[in-house]
Amino acid sequence: MVSNCHFVLEMLGYIWQYIYTSFLRYWLKWLLRQATGKCELQRICSGYKPGASRTTKAEYSLRSSKNKVLRGALESSKDHLEQCVDQIMKEKHVKAQIDPMFKGSLHICLLQITGYSSLYTSVEDLRKEVFLSEDPQHEAMLFKLWDLLMPEVKLESRITKQWGDIGFQGDDPKTDFRGMGLLGLINLVFFSENYTAEARQVLSHANHPKLGYSYAIVGINLTEMAYSLLKTGALKPHFYNAVQGAPELTHFHQLYCYLAYEFDKFWVAEEPESIMEFNQYREKFHNVVKTHLQDPSVCLRLTSSN
Amino acid sequence: MGLRTILKKMKQKEREMRLLMLGLDNAGKTTILKKFNGEDITTISPTLGFNIKTLEHKGFKLNIWDVGGQKSLRSYWRNYFESTDGLVWVVDSADRLRLEDCRQELSALLLEERLAGATLLVFANKQDLPGALSKEAIKDALALDEIKSHHWCIIDCSAVTGEHLLAGVDWLLDDIAARIFTSD
Repeated sequence: MVSNCHFVLEMLGYIWQYIYTSFLRYWLKWLLRQATGKCELQRICSGYKPGASRTTKAEYSLRSSKNKVLRGALESSKDHLEQCVDQIMKEKHVKAQIDPMFKGSLHICLLQITGYSSLYTSVEDLRKEVFLSEDPQHEAMLFKLWDLLMPEVKLESRITKQWGDIGFQGDDPKTDFRGMGLLGLINLVFFSENYTAEARQVLSHANHPKLGYSYAIVGINLTEMAYSLLKTGALKPHFYNAVQGAPELTHFHQLYCYLAYEFDKFWVAEEPESIMEFNQYREKFHNVVKTHLQDPSVCLRLTSSN
Repeated sequence: MGLRTILKKMKQKEREMRLLMLGLDNAGKTTILKKFNGEDITTISPTLGFNIKTLEHKGFKLNIWDVGGQKSLRSYWRNYFESTDGLVWVVDSADRLRLEDCRQELSALLLEERLAGATLLVFANKQDLPGALSKEAIKDALALDEIKSHHWCIIDCSAVTGEHLLAGVDWLLDDIAARIFTSD
């Protein structure tokens, strides 16, 4: 009975959505245009604060537009965006003298929207790049990671059990990067380099005899989390709020730092029985992050308690 | 609940199998599990703890446990032995340097009382890699011929291409089924 009711409601929901997106939305837009003298994009840019609340709405408006120029703007490259804005203003008869803020606002929205897609492409390229022991640059990064985390201890050799002290699985870290490729290593190095004190604090927790976990391996797992959140679009509200322009790779690395720092706090507070529970707590933490990302004002920044 | 439903429930229960997948780190356990389940295998990171998947295959309900292989996790393996019907031992056929380590871990497992009744399938994985040893070479290196305590079989496979994964699992299921469901 309850499930029947549920089903009917769901069906009604679909029907309403269909009617709304195919007819009502356009009539409503036309009415509002007549009443306010502004097109939907203008109303969005003037009615909502800059950031996720504005950009998410602008993105939806552009994506569901019947006009090719508007939809095409979403696929444009960074250098052509100003031109796109001019074209959109022409199509929608927006006068710069009457709405002087519109041009700049829409430009930022477009930088954020298209920037998110190109950020995904750059991240994907790094992920696909396999860690190679033959590449001196890759090797240098690995040594840098060691020196940043363990300044007092010298590595005895390239292949050594010491790698276990910073949480790699065996005596050669190269096999641990796997599906995350160079992206995993770059994130680890970025955290240690830009938040050295925090990274060492997290490492000391990871080396706790009872509550410990494998620092580097957990880091690579968190890179996977950041990557999948980016891929599904879940990070859009965060980047739309955090960067008033096109997000760059460093912003992605910053997000990783937030995850690494916050996961450690979460793990310590939850006191899991052993490392074997990792996947359950990882999922729990993943849900916490996803809940944060539901908030339109979300901005995930590492704030150190130090 | 009538007698029929009780019997049916028991029967359903009987069609369940518990498989435990072990091996050194970077052997390809998670990749095998995901490939077998038709999932994306390009973004895997090292396993901390374990993964469990329940899937249907040939009318059996398989509970497959994939436990992380790094050295510090191996002492936890024993927590997963209970009521295991099949042990899948995964070997990185290209990792020549650690074959001796691999042999020792396997022979220690086979002495475990709680695994005494389990069928053993050895996957000589990563046959797609240029330096991979053949299944005969792996069989010798792991001294499989000396195993008298368990039903065993070695299959050469590649988790990346999916080659021979099905053949291995099918052999394992047939062997287990012949052992525990003979009354059917």
